[in-house]
Amino acid sequence: MITLDRVSKVYRTRSGRRTVLDNVSVTFDSGQNFGVLGVNGAGKSTLIRLIAGSEIPDFGVVRRYARVSFPLGFGGTFHGALSGRENVAFVARIYGAGTRGVLHYVEEFSELGEYLHMPVNTYSAGMRARLAFATCLALDFDLYLIDEVTEVGDQRFRQKCAEAFRERIQRSDIILVTHNIHTLRQYCDRGAILANGELTLFDDIDAALGQYHRMVQESL
Amino acid sequence: MRGGPQGACDDIPADADDRKEQRLLRSPLSAARRQCSQRQARPHRESAVQLSDLGEICHSVMGAASAGDLGACRFYLERQDIPNHQRASIYCQLSEALYHKGSRDVALECARSAFDLQPEKEEIANLCAWVFSNCGEHEEAAAAYERLLAIRPHWAAGHRHASGSFAAAGQLDRAVSHGRKASDLEPHSFEFALHAAGLLESIGRPEQAAYYLVRAAALDPADAGVLRHLSTTLFALDQSEQAVALALRAVALTPADRLSALHATELLLRTNRYDEAAAIILDIVDIHREDPVAFRLLSATQMLRGLTEDALAAIDRALDLSPEAAEYHLHRANLLYRLGRLDEAAEAFGRAAALDPSNPDTKRSQLTVYFDSGRFIEALAIGGELIRTSPDNEEYARAMLQVLHRRFEMIDGDYVVLSERPSRPRREPRPRPTIFAALQTQLRVIYALMIRETRTRLADSKLGYGWALLEPVLHILMLSLVFAVMMRGRPPIGDKFFIFYYTGIIPYHLFVHTSSSMTNAVSSNTSLLQLPLVSTFDVIIARGLVEVLTDLMVAIILLAGFSAVGIGLLPRDLPALSASVVTVSLFGCGIGLINAVINAFFKSWDKIWAQLTRTLYFCSGIFYVPGMMPDWIRDILAWNPILHAVDWFRSSFFPEYEPHWLDGSYLAIVAAVSVAAGLCLERGLRRHLYEPL
Repeated sequence: MITLDRVSKVYRTRSGRRTVLDNVSVTFDSGQNFGVLGVNGAGKSTLIRLIAGSEIPDFGVVRRYARVSFPLGFGGTFHGALSGRENVAFVARIYGAGTRGVLHYVEEFSELGEYLHMPVNTYSAGMRARLAFATCLALDFDLYLIDEVTEVGDQRFRQKCAEAFRERIQRSDIILVTHNIHTLRQYCDRGAILANGELTLFDDIDAALGQYHRMVQESL
Repeated sequence: MRGGPQGACDDIPADADDRKEQRLLRSPLSAARRQCSQRQARPHRESAVQLSDLGEICHSVMGAASAGDLGACRFYLERQDIPNHQRASIYCQLSEALYHKGSRDVALECARSAFDLQPEKEEIANLCAWVFSNCGEHEEAAAAYERLLAIRPHWAAGHRHASGSFAAAGQLDRAVSHGRKASDLEPHSFEFALHAAGLLESIGRPEQAAYYLVRAAALDPADAGVLRHLSTTLFALDQSEQAVALALRAVALTPADRLSALHATELLLRTNRYDEAAAIILDIVDIHREDPVAFRLLSATQMLRGLTEDALAAIDRALDLSPEAAEYHLHRANLLYRLGRLDEAAEAFGRAAALDPSNPDTKRSQLTVYFDSGRFIEALAIGGELIRTSPDNEEYARAMLQVLHRRFEMIDGDYVVLSERPSRPRREPRPRPTIFAALQTQLRVIYALMIRETRTRLADSKLGYGWALLEPVLHILMLSLVFAVMMRGRPPIGDKFFIFYYTGIIPYHLFVHTSSSMTNAVSSNTSLLQLPLVSTFDVIIARGLVEVLTDLMVAIILLAGFSAVGIGLLPRDLPALSASVVTVSLFGCGIGLINAVINAFFKSWDKIWAQLTRTLYFCSGIFYVPGMMPDWIRDILAWNPILHAVDWFRSSFFPEYEPHWLDGSYLAIVAAVSVAAGLCLERGLRRHLYEPL
């Protein structure tokens, strides 16, 4: 369960201040998957990072009654000069997971083989993404945050990712940001619309999609 | 159409007595000229000398006029005493002559003058009508013909000419009435009947047009064109049986004529007689192999006969011959659609739409194809375009709605279920971590960061930790050499230069390395701060701890090294040693925290700090003892906490060294204050220490 208690967040961009959240209080219940909808620039990614804790709200508190992941597939923490193993071990240590178990899982899942012993600098973008995805899955989070699922690797690997993920969401929740209606309906029970600093939760993803559709139509 | 205004001169009749010559001459006015020349030929009986006599002048001027000599005539025309009828005749003569000479504008002007002066005279009206219509002045020509017809109301050809002129002038009603009159006055003229029919049809009176067409057809039953024409008219009048019969007769008369065949085929198709149509169009396609229209019609025929593949072949052939025809692409798209080749159909519709972007029906069809082939995104795009171009069209709006509806439906029902979503048991929310657990997490994170810090340092430079050891060794070696020479072999305290400088360098490095490396901790670890568990405090402290531990390791290794080569000295006062190391490390961390915060706001603070530490090097009693300084200088230097750190550390090695200015508690307080200040600053300004990626 994640609670946002009177959270405000203002973003400073070159074109001025942009309010992402304006005194928002909502609760993301556990046991439910949420899909976050919003037009480009509404601040969906910022919301995800606020929930993750990567960013601190300007006002208010985000309370996490769960182990919350970093955004899925986020490989930004990887240090180029360190090997894949060292990077994975670091993340495992940060989250207090058994380094050996995590490394074993990543070795199995990422199929990077000997590359795991090479510096991440030498990886292709796809390999980095695979490593990040595997690391995120290896750590047993209660809540996975997914900001625009990026397709990783070839057809077979994607299949594998989908399978692993399907297995994982049996016991974990997700908060998903995507424009793909297909994915939203597939994974999410409930929806949320982020617009003009307000975050509205819907009991039903279809209701959220309908409302979002109307909203976009009106703004056209 | 025969007998338009351009050809009027051929048909202009004249008086009965003049008719023979009239045929030979080129214009009606020739008659007048002839009269004149006859008169000229006569002897000047009345008064040969009286040149002022108008008649005489008239003779000579007529000669000039018929030669088209405008200048000569003008002299005469300017005279006031000329009677109008003569003046008109001269203008008339001039006009005709000038027209033949090619100066049409002047001829037109002369004709107008003549017509204005004496419109009621038949000859003049006749010539003027001819000049007007040949010069393209149809309204004036029509007026002239009406004048003539007022004189001779039963002149059929005149009515025909008037009709032509009115039609050309755009006055269709009057054209029609004259045209009908012409045909009625001379019912045996094929051309007049056809002309009347054409006009009637163009003003939307097919019944009357049919009447005249029947007349024309009766006059020339072998003319396929008339039959075709009549057939079209009858078909428009719903007499399709007769229409088809006539069309077939036209084909029978001219079996190779493509127009008759195409016409008959079209009528047969419209009356659902597909097989007969096919027989005709297949014949004609055999003869006219390069005619895209025939192939288009063949395609339609085959389509209606249910032979869609053949129809497709035919329209492909038509498109080979005429690839730019949007309608052909449209037809082809429809055929492909019928055949279920939706992608190709969509492409063909696209081509038709590209060739004829103004046609919304093409887009509408495209929408249907996309819709049926499940390409909803394309369908939506086309629908959007349709609604943009014709926002008021209800049908388009409804189609668009349907697409949207289906799109949602499809998403509802059509996707592959990757995961059944069983209602998962609602997990009990995890309790918020206790302070102990939070502390544990923090220590874990700092530990992980420290490991990473050492790893990256190893990976970043080739020397890696070699440098950590090499730097103090070189430093001590250099100081020892310089001062051994300068001080002739004896350090201020003890008897070993290495140990003396060692005791100065180690505490100084502990402070400087720690505080300096923490300065950049945030900016060089921004990516790690993306991890929710990692805070700025963690990365700053982890760096400081790594430096402290590194320096301690180096200190121990050096000491062990010294002992190994026999110049070692073990510290005598372990509590003082540990106390001094801990306090100077804490002080380094405190200042490091403050530095890290300052550096977040002043990006070049690390450079300034590097300069400050260099100054500190000289103020901290590293290569001297403050006791060697004058008292006032020593009192000032005693404000420097590092000086205390060095002396404290040094005194733990040399029991005989008991500096009275040394105050460990001062260092401890400064260290505690700096740590507190650093922690407060970091905590308070945490949100502003870095820009999130």
